[in-house]
Amino acid sequence: MEKTKLISRPVNWNKIEDSVDLDVWNRLTQNFWLPEKVPLSNDVQSWGTLRPHEQKLTMHVFTGLTMLDTIQGTIGAMSLMPDARTQHEEAVITNIAFMESVHAKSYSSVFSTLCSTTEIEEAFRWSEDNPYLQKKAEIVLGYYNGDDPLKRKVASTLLESFLFYSGFYLPMYWSSRAKLTNTADLIRLIIRDEAIHGYYIGYKFQLGYNEASKERQEELRSYTYDLLLELYENEVKYTADLYDEIGLTHDVKQFLHYNGNKALMNLGFDPLFPKDDAEVSPAILSALSPASDENHDFFSGSGSSYVIGKHEATTDDDWDF
Amino acid sequence: MANSVVEVADDNGNVVSTKGVESALSYQDLNAMINLWGNDQKLQLEKDKLAVRKYFLEHVNQNTVFFHSLKERLDYLVENEYYEKEILDKYSFEFITKLNDLAYSKKFRFEAFMGAFKFYTGYALKTFDGERYLERFEDRVVMVALTLAEGVEETAISLVEEIISGRFQPATPTFLNCGKKQRGEFVSCFLLRIEDNMESISRGINSALQLSKRGGGVALSLSNIREYGAPIKKIEGQSSGIIPVMKLLEDSFSYANQLGARQGAGAVYLNAHHPDIMRFLDTKRENADEKIRIKTLSIGVVLPDITMMLAKDNEDMYLFSPYDVEKVYGVPFGDISVTEKYYEMVDEPRIRKSKIKARDLLQKIAELQFESGYPYVMYEDTVNNANPIQGRINMSNLCSEILQVNTPTTYNADLSYDQIGKDISCNLGSLNIAKAMDGPDFGKTIEASIRALTAVSDQSNIESVRSISDGNHKSHAIGLGQMNLHGYLAREQIHYGSDEGLDFTNMYFYTVNYHAISASNKIAKERKQTFDNFENSKYATGEYFDKYTEQTWAPATPKVKELFKKAGVSIPTQEDWAELKKSVMKHGIYNQNLQAVPPTGSISYINNSTSSIHPIASRIEVRKEGKLGRVYYPAPYLSEETWEYYEDAYEIGPDKIIDTYAAATQHVDQGLSLTLFFKDTATTRDVNRAQINSWRKGIKTIYYIRIRQAALEGTEVENCVSCML
Repeated sequence: MEKTKLISRPVNWNKIEDSVDLDVWNRLTQNFWLPEKVPLSNDVQSWGTLRPHEQKLTMHVFTGLTMLDTIQGTIGAMSLMPDARTQHEEAVITNIAFMESVHAKSYSSVFSTLCSTTEIEEAFRWSEDNPYLQKKAEIVLGYYNGDDPLKRKVASTLLESFLFYSGFYLPMYWSSRAKLTNTADLIRLIIRDEAIHGYYIGYKFQLGYNEASKERQEELRSYTYDLLLELYENEVKYTADLYDEIGLTHDVKQFLHYNGNKALMNLGFDPLFPKDDAEVSPAILSALSPASDENHDFFSGSGSSYVIGKHEATTDDDWDF
Repeated sequence: MANSVVEVADDNGNVVSTKGVESALSYQDLNAMINLWGNDQKLQLEKDKLAVRKYFLEHVNQNTVFFHSLKERLDYLVENEYYEKEILDKYSFEFITKLNDLAYSKKFRFEAFMGAFKFYTGYALKTFDGERYLERFEDRVVMVALTLAEGVEETAISLVEEIISGRFQPATPTFLNCGKKQRGEFVSCFLLRIEDNMESISRGINSALQLSKRGGGVALSLSNIREYGAPIKKIEGQSSGIIPVMKLLEDSFSYANQLGARQGAGAVYLNAHHPDIMRFLDTKRENADEKIRIKTLSIGVVLPDITMMLAKDNEDMYLFSPYDVEKVYGVPFGDISVTEKYYEMVDEPRIRKSKIKARDLLQKIAELQFESGYPYVMYEDTVNNANPIQGRINMSNLCSEILQVNTPTTYNADLSYDQIGKDISCNLGSLNIAKAMDGPDFGKTIEASIRALTAVSDQSNIESVRSISDGNHKSHAIGLGQMNLHGYLAREQIHYGSDEGLDFTNMYFYTVNYHAISASNKIAKERKQTFDNFENSKYATGEYFDKYTEQTWAPATPKVKELFKKAGVSIPTQEDWAELKKSVMKHGIYNQNLQAVPPTGSISYINNSTSSIHPIASRIEVRKEGKLGRVYYPAPYLSEETWEYYEDAYEIGPDKIIDTYAAATQHVDQGLSLTLFFKDTATTRDVNRAQINSWRKGIKTIYYIRIRQAALEGTEVENCVSCML
C-alpha cells in the first residue's frame, strides 16, 4: 500500500476534490436497480421456443458472466480500494462492488425463472470444467493479486469493458430476434452499469498514467496491449467453443474487437483492431445503447429507462395561483 | 399477389441496385442502421426502405400462401375456418371482387419497416401452425370493411377508402380480429367497478380473467373497498385492505394471455382520499418487499380538486374510511364527490379518518413517477364538470382516455345478479390528422369513422360480463381518437406547442367535434334511437352547445386559416352549431360518448404516424415490444427540411404539451392520454409543477411520466443517432 493513513478522516461530500467522483456517484445511485424490477417470467414462453442447444448456450453464456461478476464483485473492485485517490473514489468503488454482486445475483434470477435445478447445476459444473473460462479467471485474478495499482486498474477496465461482451452479445442477439426480451432488459441494465464502471476505472487509470514518467508510461502501454492480446487469444477460443454451434463466432469476434477498442479508449490508448474488423452488426450495436430512450407500453417489460428521482419539495410559489 | 412485391422493389429500385454489400445485411440490420449515422455523418433513412424491401423479398413473399384467384382464396379460407362465412355471405361475390380491386388499386406501400413488420407479425392472418401468411394489408382492410359495413355496400366502399388511404385506422382489436373465424373481441378496453363486498371482488377477478382472455385491457376501481384494518362484521381490525386484491388481480392478468399474443394488462384506480393511498403507491417502490410489490399492474390515482386546494394552502388532508362513508351516505365512496362533501365528512364523527400532508402525497406521487412512470392521475372534478352525461365518473382505464359514468352491480347470496349495474367498454379508432386534412371530404371521413366504431359497439356482446354488455347496449359509447399531430405540424413546418401549433389543434378538434356529433345525430335520426338516458344529458337540454353558440371560434393565426383553406376543410360557424343543437335536442344522438384520444402505439406504426397528439419521443424511435424485439422507427416525413420541427418531447418540455392538450381537451367529451416528458435533470418539484399546471389548464388525466436519462459522456455507443440529442 502506498498511502498509510495515520489519521482517520470522515468523508466530506461537501468538499469534492474530483468532480467526476460526484458525477459518477450520482449516476450510479440514480441507476440503482434490483433484478426483481424486471418481469423475467414474461420470458418463460419465449425460452420454450429456443432449441435445446440454444438454451444450453444461453445458460453457459450466463454462467460465464456470473463468474466474471463474482470475481469483479468480491475481488476485483475491492482490490482497487487501497489505491483510491480520494475518499469519494472509495465510496464509488464500494458501490461498484455492490452492483457487481447484484449483477451476479441477477443471472441466478434468470436461471431460476427459466430453467430447472438440474439444468442450473449442469451449467455451473460446466463453468468449473471449461478450460477457457477458467483460464480467463486465472489471468484476471493473477493481475488483481499483483502489486502494481495502475496495472490492477488496467485489468479491471479490460474486464469491465472487454471480457463481459462475448457474453453480452447473446442476449442482445436474441432480443434483436424478439426472443428473451425481458432478459435483454436486465442485461441492458447491467451493460448500463458496466459502461460506467469501465469508464470510471479507465479515467482513474489515466490520472495516474499522466503523472507517471515517460518510461513508466511506456511500460504501462505495452503492458496493456500485451494483456489485451493475452486475454484476446483466450477469448477467441472461448468464443469459438460457445458460438461455433450456432454459427455466430465471426460476429462475436467483430464485437470483441469493437469492445477491445472501446476498452483501450477508456484507458486513453489508441485502438488496436482495424475498423473493418470491428464492424458490429447494426442490430446489436443499436441494442447496446445505454441511453434510456427506449419506448415501450404497458404490455411490454419495464424497460431500462426509469431512474430514482431527485426529491425536491414544492414551495408556496409553485402553488401561487 | 406476388407481383405487387416486385413493385415494392421498383419503388426503391434506384437505391438497391448499386450496393452488393448492403444485401448481405439482414433486414434487422438495415433497420437498425437508421439509428446510426452513416459514414458521411448523415441520416441513413434510405436504409429503412431497403429493410422493408428486404423484409418482403426474404420473408413475407416466401412465407405467403399463394392463391390463383380471389375465389379460390376466399373458398379456402372459409372452408378451413379462417374466415367467417356469415360476413362474406352478406355480399355478392361480384361486389367483393370490386371491393378487392378497389383496395389493390390504391397501391398501398408500407413507409417504414416498423409498419410492415408490425403488420405481419401482429395483424395478418396466419395459417394455424403460425408458419405462413394468408393475408396482405389490402386483404385485411377489405375484411375489416366487410365486417363493419354489415352488408351495406356503400359503407363498405367508404370504409375501404378511408382505411387504405390511412385517414381512418381502427384500433388493434378491431383491425386484428374483423372477419376472422378464430378471434378475440373487437373491443379493446374495459372498466369495472368493484364494490365493498366479497361477491363483487371475486366477480371483479373473474371478469378480469374473462376480459383479458378476450383481448382487452381492464381497469378496476378500488376506491370503494374498505381500508386496511377496517372492521368486518363489526369486528375491528379485520380487513386487509386493497393490496391483497391488487395481488390477486396482478396474478390473474399474467395468467390470462390472449392466445399467447400478449400478457393481459390491467390497471387499478384509487381515490386520493382512500386511507390506503400511501400503501397503494408504495407497491410501485423499487425496493418494496416482494409480498406487496406490484410489477405489472398499472396504478392510477383519482385526484379531486380539494386535494389540490389543500396542497395549495399546505394543509393536512383527511383520508376517509370507505366502509364508514358508505354506511353514512348509503352510497359507495367512489360515487361521492369528495370535494363537495369534504368538510362535512371531516366533521362527521361516524366516519373514521386519518390525515397526511397534501403536499407530501403529491410529492410522493411525483417520486414514484420518476421511479416507475406510475401512477396515472385523473383530475376527478375537472372530468365531472366537463361530463355532459348524467351520473358520476370515478375512474379511467388503462390508457387514461376513457371517461364514462358507471353504476354498481349487486349480488344475491348464491352469487347470482341482484341488480346489474352499468360498466364500461370502449372501442376506439383514430384518424391520421395529416391524411384527414389531405382527404377530399373531411366531414365524410369522420362520419365513416363514427359509423365504423358504432358498428363495433353494435356487434359487441361480452356475455361473460353482463354489466359490460348491458352498459354497452345502453350507451353505444365509442371513442374517436387522433394521431399524427406532430407529423402534420412538422410537415407543415409548424413547431409543436407554438401559437400556430395550438391554434391548429384548437380548430382541428373543434371541427372534429362538430362532425362527430352530427354523425351521431344522423344515426339517431335514421334508427330513431338514442343512447339510454339521453333525455337527462346536457345534449338534451342544449346546455352542452352553449360554448359553441355563444361565442365564435375561428383561427387566430393566418397560417392556420390558410391550412384549412388549402385543405378545403370548412370550419363550422355559430349558425352551423345552432342548427346542430336544434337537431340534437329533437332527435338525440346515438352514442353516449364520441371521442377519446388514445396513446396509439401499434396502429400508428402501421399507419406511419406519430402517436396520438404527443410530440415524438425521438426522431428515430427505439421500440421494444414483447413480440418484436428492438425495432427502429423514423418519424414520418423526417427529412432535412422537417428536422428542426421534430424537436423531441424531452426538448419540448411539459408546458407546451400541456397547452396543446388543453387546446384539444375542450372539444373532447372523454379524455386524452397525456404523457409528460422530462429530462433527468428534473426533480420531483418539476413534476409537481407540471401537475399543478395541468390541473389549472383543465387537463383531465395524466398518463405516464417519462424521464430520459442521457448516457454519461464517454459511455455512449459511437455514432448512435438516438443518443446524440
